[in-house]
Amino acid sequence: MATPTEALESVMPATRELVLDLHRRMVRIRRFEERAGKLVESGDMPGFLHLYVGQEAVAAGVCSALTDADQITSTHRGHGHAIAKGADFRPMFAELYGKTTGYCKGRGGSMHIVDMNRGMLGANAIVGGGIPIAVGAAFASQYRGDGTVAVSFFGDGATNIGAFHESVNMAAVLNLPVVFVIENNGYAEFTPQDRHMKLTDIAERASSYGIPGVIVDGMDVLAVRNVALEAIERAKRGEGPTLIEAKTYRYFDHQGIKGMRILYRDPAEVEAWKTRDAINLIEAIGVERGLVSAEEFADIWAQTEADIDDGIEFARTSPDPDPVDILDDVYTT
Amino acid sequence: MAIEILLPKLGLTMEEGTVEEWLVADGAVITVGMPLLRLATDKIDVDVEAEADGILARAVPDGATLEPGSVLGWLLASGESAPNGFAPSAPASDSLQSDAVVITTMPANNHNDVSQSGGRAFISPNARRVAREMQVDLARVSGTGPGGRILSEDVVEAASNTNPDTGNIRPGKVISPLARRDARDAGIDPAGISTDDGVVRRSDVRGAAASTPQNNASAALAPMPTQQTGSSVAHSETTSIIPLKGMRGTIAARMLQSLTEMAQLTHGFEVSMDAVVQLRAEMKDQYVALGVAVPSLNDFVVRAAALALRQHPILNATIIDKEIHLLGRIHMGLAVAVPGGLMVPVIHDADQLSLPELARATRDVADRCRTGSISLDELEGATFAVTSLGTYGVDFFTPVINPGNVGILGVGRLRDSGKWEGETFVRTQVLTLSLTFDHRAVDGAPAAEYLQTIAQLLARPLVLVS
Amino acid sequence: MLTDEIPEGLSVTTRELTYVKAFNEGMHQVMAEDPDVFLIGEDVAGYGGVFHMFDGLLTEFGATRVVDTPIAEQAIIGLGVGAAARGLRPVCDLMFMDFVGVAMDQIFNQAAKMKYMFGGNVSVPLTITTAGGAGMSAAAQHSQSLEAWLAHIPGLKVAMPASPYDAKGLIVGAIRDDNPTIVVLNKKMLGVKGPVPEELYSIPFGVANIVREGNNATIVAIGRMVVEAEKAAENLEKDGISVEIIDPRTVQPLDIDTIVTSVKKTNRVLVVHEAVEFGGIGAEISSQIQESAFDYLDAPVTRLAAPFAPVPFAPILENAYVPDAPRIEAVVRRLLERK
Repeated sequence: MATPTEALESVMPATRELVLDLHRRMVRIRRFEERAGKLVESGDMPGFLHLYVGQEAVAAGVCSALTDADQITSTHRGHGHAIAKGADFRPMFAELYGKTTGYCKGRGGSMHIVDMNRGMLGANAIVGGGIPIAVGAAFASQYRGDGTVAVSFFGDGATNIGAFHESVNMAAVLNLPVVFVIENNGYAEFTPQDRHMKLTDIAERASSYGIPGVIVDGMDVLAVRNVALEAIERAKRGEGPTLIEAKTYRYFDHQGIKGMRILYRDPAEVEAWKTRDAINLIEAIGVERGLVSAEEFADIWAQTEADIDDGIEFARTSPDPDPVDILDDVYTT
Repeated sequence: MAIEILLPKLGLTMEEGTVEEWLVADGAVITVGMPLLRLATDKIDVDVEAEADGILARAVPDGATLEPGSVLGWLLASGESAPNGFAPSAPASDSLQSDAVVITTMPANNHNDVSQSGGRAFISPNARRVAREMQVDLARVSGTGPGGRILSEDVVEAASNTNPDTGNIRPGKVISPLARRDARDAGIDPAGISTDDGVVRRSDVRGAAASTPQNNASAALAPMPTQQTGSSVAHSETTSIIPLKGMRGTIAARMLQSLTEMAQLTHGFEVSMDAVVQLRAEMKDQYVALGVAVPSLNDFVVRAAALALRQHPILNATIIDKEIHLLGRIHMGLAVAVPGGLMVPVIHDADQLSLPELARATRDVADRCRTGSISLDELEGATFAVTSLGTYGVDFFTPVINPGNVGILGVGRLRDSGKWEGETFVRTQVLTLSLTFDHRAVDGAPAAEYLQTIAQLLARPLVLVS
Repeated sequence: MLTDEIPEGLSVTTRELTYVKAFNEGMHQVMAEDPDVFLIGEDVAGYGGVFHMFDGLLTEFGATRVVDTPIAEQAIIGLGVGAAARGLRPVCDLMFMDFVGVAMDQIFNQAAKMKYMFGGNVSVPLTITTAGGAGMSAAAQHSQSLEAWLAHIPGLKVAMPASPYDAKGLIVGAIRDDNPTIVVLNKKMLGVKGPVPEELYSIPFGVANIVREGNNATIVAIGRMVVEAEKAAENLEKDGISVEIIDPRTVQPLDIDTIVTSVKKTNRVLVVHEAVEFGGIGAEISSQIQESAFDYLDAPVTRLAAPFAPVPFAPILENAYVPDAPRIEAVVRRLLERK
């Protein structure tokens, strides 16, 4: 992944409501991830997490263009998408703690967070596993003619898997209302992009399927939203799928904050990306354009903190599942 | 074709030789000239060599003393069995090659195949269960399954086994010709002589002859061994022996127990069967059209007996210690004759079954008794019983109560009779009911009243059909 | 000729249909009844399916509901998963059972597990149709019976119709079921004829069919082996050997109770299937039988199945590979032999 050199700025138009909304989504993702990451590292929370810190603008930008009726599928790094789509902290923390009050009653954990009420069709632990499912969700939209769309989030690594090709091609030839969003953070797990494909711009793959490919700066939340809106409109007009490549970066390791503590990325690279932090940008825009004050932004951070405290407390005091129920919900009866 | 290995006559005066030691094992592959055994005579010891190729099947053990010309064993061809039943297990590769069609792993799946080694008895789980239920001693059962495995069929057959021709011969029992001659002279059945190793020698016959009482007792069967136990010492007039084991033994024990424990007596009672006969004839077509079993006359009687028990609960009781326990549910035992004895399967809640249901149930349990597929819980729990000897022409008899009950109803044959109606003598069909009851619990009058109730039900049999 | 019992309430019929036509009729009727049912797969619309399972559906229901796809099994099944999660009732055809491997992640990791992983919040009423079995000289990658793999995954249901009556009843049952279900037709049975009621009906899952009653031995037969077992039984009957044949109909859920009741009656049992013997569904059935009926066995629980090799091409090899009536008969006789 090349170290970015362009300064971050945005020329996208914005309203106050939009800035507040996008900011709130991104801050909620940022703080949830940072605090959840700490809980796992301290051993308070079981399992392991794949944290979205740094990529918030992609989830926030795209999801802000969707309604609850629109569906998204996600990846192992799915907290950001869930929160951006409107998931609540309480059932999210409860699920991470494996409690019955979690989104999946403690059955799924981090990689299988789901919120059907908000159109979140589940995080997925199989790379590329969610892409065909989004195609199915879009098929249902088309079948019913209800005007909804589906969005599939996945990483640069996933674009190498067979399911990706089959899904994009299938969606293209059937003209399905789906938007494919590549979150290119430059790494497939620990392997940099230039070692897992020859392409630099993955959006070029779109031409193989006869659909448009669009590149966007993943740190500019307004730009991301804009591109998403265009793709969604295309889909709703029945013109089929679009492939969006958002260039972004994850500050933390593949899993956890410091993860395995094996250095495979140049710290300078990480710092360079941090200078282009998406939350900083939206705050700068808000303040510079006189849309939102610094205090108001601070309020959002504070409110988010309180919500997280509440979520953690809720989760910690929630009941554990009973092993007696272990066979429940294997089948629908 | 099995080639006999004979005890050679070494010298003109040789009367007998002893197999001092076999040099090869059963099932060994033998080639011409191979020494098979060491033979000891009063003059010399020699090794007897094989005169042909084959697989060895021994007929006599080490130490056997026999006269020249006696069969010591056989040399078998591959896959052949010896005349004494011994079958050496064939090597696995042969059976695969000979099975041209099958490529599936059928042969490989035979890891349950049983070998003859070690003297361990192989018994199928089902055989064990059935043996337990029928109280059959598995040590007396020989198996016909693969590798000699004892199957449940073997157990059932053993429970009802009478084999008068062969008596109590164990497979593979060897009787020397001289011993046979001695036994014949002494008037003893050599097959009845039990020995430790399955070989009957002249000395055994001499011993058996000495211990047999020289009288002219006319009993054809062996007397009940009241003083002797275990070993079958034969009476001089005995032609065959049926052991009091298995089902036979069970019947013997139970009958004796019943008659010694209870105060039993029997009422005879003639009942008119005209109404039942007529009703049955009328309904027969309907039953057939519905595809249900046609109730027999006996089924009518059983149903009447069951219903009548409701009105006479003292007969559906059991005596435990010093108490009479009246029992709420009516479970009817039905005596079923099977080869070699009888079984009493139970129809639970017999009074709750309709007549066609009862008919089907009685047929079903009778069939399964005869095929041996009846289960233990179907042979237990009777509160009363019915036994019928009508088909044998018996009118009145004194059935024995099953231990634990206080009554049993015997059913005699349907016979022609007559009665006066006014001045006219009319023909009737009747049968005799024989009610044996335990006078400790039931007095004569209540017993008679029970019979009267049955008679009334049989006189108005529509009640039985509803 | 199989004699299926038509349960109460259905018209006793003399009308006979072939196995594939019965399936096709079930598809027509259930799609007419429920507008949420749609069909996707390779060559299912224009061509009616390579086995003609889907003849006439495009004409009757149109291109929105009957969809030809590119060759992309992961996407086909994944599309079904997504649509099912949104409440539609997809029927996704996988043509040959051997292709299940290409779609395996969507089947066993996604479809099977979503209900459980998502705490019951999502149902996946997906039906996958496919055709398996050997005997057509289709060679190793077009002849497999892989039901053991699928039955092994909690969350999946697997049906294997062995008669025209079952073919219609089980596909209807599968589509109406709210769980991911795979219906495996047998390609060698497509032309088999049998009585099929005209009305729409379904067969419940987890209820075995007692195809034939008998006393001396039980044969548990899977798929087309039911037909072979019937032939063997006819022959054995001539020698007074009466055999009970149980067709589980669905290997997941498995009606072990009916099987065990039968074994307790007959005391001898043979499990026969086309799939490879090692690790086949017969291993599971045998193990469950001996756990529940140990004391009722007069012979070891025995299996007859394909040897541990891929399906061979040459007819003489394939014939030796797949169990058949004469071999079933031979095993039954061996189970009953006494000296």
